[in-house]
Amino acid sequence: MRILLVEDDSLLGDGLRAGLRQLGFQVDWVRDGEAAERELRTGSYAAAVLDLGLPRKDGLDVLASVRRAGVSTPVLVLTARDAVPERIRGLDAGADDYVVKPVDLDELAARLRALVRRAHGQPLECLSAQDVVLDPAARSVRQAGEPVTLSTREFDLLQAFMLSANRVLSREQLEQQLYSWGQEVESNAIEVHIHNLRRKLGSTLIHTVRGVGYMLQRDVPPV
Amino acid sequence: MSRISWLRQPHSLQGRLLALVLAVVTGVWLLTALGTWRDARHELDELLDGHLAQAAALLVVQQAKEVEEDERGIDAPTLHRYAPKVAFQVFHENKLALRSANAPTAPMVGTVKNFKIGFETVQIDGADWRIFAAQGAERDVQVYVGEEMSSRASILWAVLRSMLWPMALALPLLGLAVWWAVFLGIKPLRRLGHTLAERQPQSLAPLTLDGAPLEMAPVVDALNGLFERIGLLLESERRFTADAAHELRTPIAAIRTQAQVAMGEPDAALRRHALQGTLEGCDRAIRLVEQLLTLARLEGAVASAMNAVDLRALAQRAVAEIAPKAIAKQQTLEFDADALCSIPGNETLLAVLVRNLVDNAVRYSPPGARVKVALHQQAGQVMLSVEDSGPGLDAADLKRLGERFFRVPGSTESGSGLGWSIVQRIAAVHGLTLQAVPSVELGGLAVRVLA
Repeated sequence: MRILLVEDDSLLGDGLRAGLRQLGFQVDWVRDGEAAERELRTGSYAAAVLDLGLPRKDGLDVLASVRRAGVSTPVLVLTARDAVPERIRGLDAGADDYVVKPVDLDELAARLRALVRRAHGQPLECLSAQDVVLDPAARSVRQAGEPVTLSTREFDLLQAFMLSANRVLSREQLEQQLYSWGQEVESNAIEVHIHNLRRKLGSTLIHTVRGVGYMLQRDVPPV
Repeated sequence: MSRISWLRQPHSLQGRLLALVLAVVTGVWLLTALGTWRDARHELDELLDGHLAQAAALLVVQQAKEVEEDERGIDAPTLHRYAPKVAFQVFHENKLALRSANAPTAPMVGTVKNFKIGFETVQIDGADWRIFAAQGAERDVQVYVGEEMSSRASILWAVLRSMLWPMALALPLLGLAVWWAVFLGIKPLRRLGHTLAERQPQSLAPLTLDGAPLEMAPVVDALNGLFERIGLLLESERRFTADAAHELRTPIAAIRTQAQVAMGEPDAALRRHALQGTLEGCDRAIRLVEQLLTLARLEGAVASAMNAVDLRALAQRAVAEIAPKAIAKQQTLEFDADALCSIPGNETLLAVLVRNLVDNAVRYSPPGARVKVALHQQAGQVMLSVEDSGPGLDAADLKRLGERFFRVPGSTESGSGLGWSIVQRIAAVHGLTLQAVPSVELGGLAVRVLA
């Protein structure tokens, strides 16, 4: 799951990036408001962690302006401003969650997963499609109750598919969601991962739409 | 008990007013009584002396007429029960011719030989008597008419009593009336007391006392002024605490996050990196706390322990201290000073001020920049200036400089935004003028301290 981290404090930003990576997120880190707005507008993040006191452009202004531009990426505001009016302002400006520093990394990760789930209309902790169940917190996958071993990339790819079940995703979209900056993406990497997923989970789950991309089918097709 | 300690004793205003009013009323009453008594005595003396003289004159005339007649005895009968209080003697040719029953046989005043007309007060049988002596035209008849003084005194006492009795009876009633009037009169004071007692400790809204008398306006105004000042003080304290807590959150969040990362990191190099981050965060938090403490101490500081401080040596030390940092950033840090520049002040505080200014210039100027510290004395005025070739500040940011925790937007250096507040506070304690202007020579920021 690719996350945008916006934090101007170098020490805290470094720590959050490392911590969220440990917990299985792909993290891109920017340090000022303008860069944050630019990145959010690409729409290629599953969620964003946004500090408010930012150089160049205040976090709340960034949030308000990307929301006006129609960006619906879930945003978790992480700030030192704890007064109730501040929280209200943050939520009104379009934040999906408001967390006051300092925060536990596991809690932050859980909140991010919940935000992403909710943004995709998935109320349950676990994502499921056909007989496959994916637990984002435990990073585990079961098929018909039996555990399936997936690589990190395969897991992330399956999660991206499950979050956007029944929707066609292009290869570029999938790459954007899977890889953070500076990570080499081989041209056929997505195809290879999809091939592996089909091998491990069966071929009825992920369909190829020629010339467009791929789609995960949530329900078992009628025979 | 001495007078002073009596004055210092707490006492009720009601009781005090009551006592004062009653004392004044009693005093005036007594003075009036005294005046009346003196007046009455004077009038009474005139009247009764007149009667004595009249009676004596009558007796003289009477005796002159009856002198030829036969002896009828010399003792006149007592006709009234009050008669013993008056007495008379009539002497004819040096011989007692007639007297009242209570009169002695010898003349009541002096002797017949050396006779003196007029009034005299003498003592007869232990009692004071007022005597009038008169004699006939041929000097053969001498008449003494006397009256016991005590009867005059009892008349006077009767007059006085008739005055003092109503007074004594009226005094308690008057006391009650005054007590009630004072009670009503100081009602606004009591109301103020209740209003103050019922206030919540955190309530600092101005007092309004409807219908408060004019005399209480200064008290209410003074209280409201006090409430306002306390309110401002509390507000600034509250803001400071909130700001401080807020500013501490980020370093603490960094420490926590880095520590958590270190705990969960299997890779040794990455774990070491996270642990180093944890330490760095601790150092930052410590620095911030120290700055906050400095500032808090300065808040209440008045110029204490002022000595002559050698500003040149002090600035030199500050420059030397920060030079390694400047060298690491490939900056040119120079120091230029006149001969001795000495100003009165607290050396420790002034060192903090200079170090902060130089450190800020180095910290917020880019690598390769020039920072110039200069100390000059002109026309008796000492000027310390710290100029840099950094990005400088625009007018809006110059204005916001000194707001606590204000950090110039876009600055990449870590900092708390407290340094300038500390500098300002130290300058204020020393009565120094602080100016932040664009640097003409280097193009960045120039900060001047004028003593």
